[in-house]
Amino acid sequence: MSEQLETITPLDPFDTLNTIRDTSLKTLNIMRDASLKSWSKLMIDLVSSEAYSQATSRWLDTYLTVSQPFQRMLDITMTQTLMRLNMPMRSDVTSLAERLTNVEMRLDDLDAKLDDIHRAIQALAASKPAADPSAKEAH
Amino acid sequence: MPFSSFPMIPAALQSELQRIEENTRTLLRVSTSRATVAQTPKEVIWSLNKARLYRYIPVVSAEQRHKVPLLLVFALMNRPYILDLRPGHSFIEYMVKQGYDVYLLDWGAPGPEDKELKFDDYVLDYLPRALRKLKTVSGSEEFSMLGWCIGAILTTISAALRPNNGLKNLMLLTAPLDFTDKKAGGFVRWVNDHSFDPEKIINTFGNVPGELIDYGAKALKPVENYIGSYLTLWDNLDDPRIVQSWHAMNTWVTDLIPMAGATYRQLIQELYRENRLIQGKLIIRGERVDLSRIRANLLNVIALADHISPPCQSESIMTKVSSQDQLLLKVKGGHIGMMAGSGAMKYTWPHIDSWLAARSD
Repeated sequence: MSEQLETITPLDPFDTLNTIRDTSLKTLNIMRDASLKSWSKLMIDLVSSEAYSQATSRWLDTYLTVSQPFQRMLDITMTQTLMRLNMPMRSDVTSLAERLTNVEMRLDDLDAKLDDIHRAIQALAASKPAADPSAKEAH
Repeated sequence: MPFSSFPMIPAALQSELQRIEENTRTLLRVSTSRATVAQTPKEVIWSLNKARLYRYIPVVSAEQRHKVPLLLVFALMNRPYILDLRPGHSFIEYMVKQGYDVYLLDWGAPGPEDKELKFDDYVLDYLPRALRKLKTVSGSEEFSMLGWCIGAILTTISAALRPNNGLKNLMLLTAPLDFTDKKAGGFVRWVNDHSFDPEKIINTFGNVPGELIDYGAKALKPVENYIGSYLTLWDNLDDPRIVQSWHAMNTWVTDLIPMAGATYRQLIQELYRENRLIQGKLIIRGERVDLSRIRANLLNVIALADHISPPCQSESIMTKVSSQDQLLLKVKGGHIGMMAGSGAMKYTWPHIDSWLAARSD
């Protein structure tokens, strides 16, 4: 800090201001970090406490209890609206997606079988020259 | 209009105003945009429903490469690109450069049609199919598997249920497996509270929203996550290296995905509350998960400052498995920082590489 003060140009107000600003910012940052550290420790102890667990669980439970009927109402309204518009409902899209996944699984099974066949052919091809007498004669 | 176009403003003030303007721009940019992530070149070699299996393009010649391929399995409720955050700071890029044939299983984001997906499905339908493809593409019957967080639960269950499927090396990172201590960490306390009803969450949402899971994770260290992180950015707005790193991490943190309802039910009820996995009572599609059937070489990496999966949840597996070759590695850092923090390249990745390299040829 003393070095900085020595390099200040007294006639340049911005230089002086900058130095003062930097010094005070540094002090403020040190104070801020120290208070954050203790605050953090306090908060970690708080969120790990039994009381916090209970409070959060109760808050979540209340939120879910209150929101469930609205959610259900929204689902029913949406289903009815889509039915009237002759459009597919969420359940239709969901079952279609499930069927697609099943088709994908079947394709994957076929892919596995193809790989097995490919491997068997390769093994057969590799063993054939040794078993072929004409190949031996040629050598 | 730039401040230099006002000659009456002194130069010092002009530069100060310019600095403030640039910082504000940077702040706005990083807080409102997505960083470019997951840039290591890769190809999709298999897919099923939302899941994708990626193979990273090798940079080392086939002769110099390790013979045993490596499969990375990340958690279900976050994007796996945390393993490939940005060039120069990517675990995947690092492992590819070390000569591994690297594969990544991305579970994807479950839709409403996936709410009934359970651990059973992930372990017995998705994982074996992905492994089959990996074996076909790599041409190796043996493989190494690295599971992180919930991914470690999945890989552990898989290793116990199918010990003869070619698994040579099993690596677990911050694995939440043992919930004997009901007071270890905030998560365990919260989900064991009698008012906490996972069934109600599933009935309301179907899949558990990413925001809810995110809140749970962030609330464990509220000051660091809600204030500290932004202060770090504010203090370092002049440093493009730190800004870039913060931007990439913030992109990952805010990229939330839901968790399949049935999996969440199993996780809370059967694991967190009833602790069935470590007790050998977990049943997956009619089969009991017996950890003593795990014979693969085991590396268990624990983060010393992990507040999500405290070390006590990961340590006890060492005594449950039959692996002759096993190592418990304790590293600096937290749940994510251990693998993606600035110290990961120094404290974690080289240890994983040296352990795995000795067992991959």
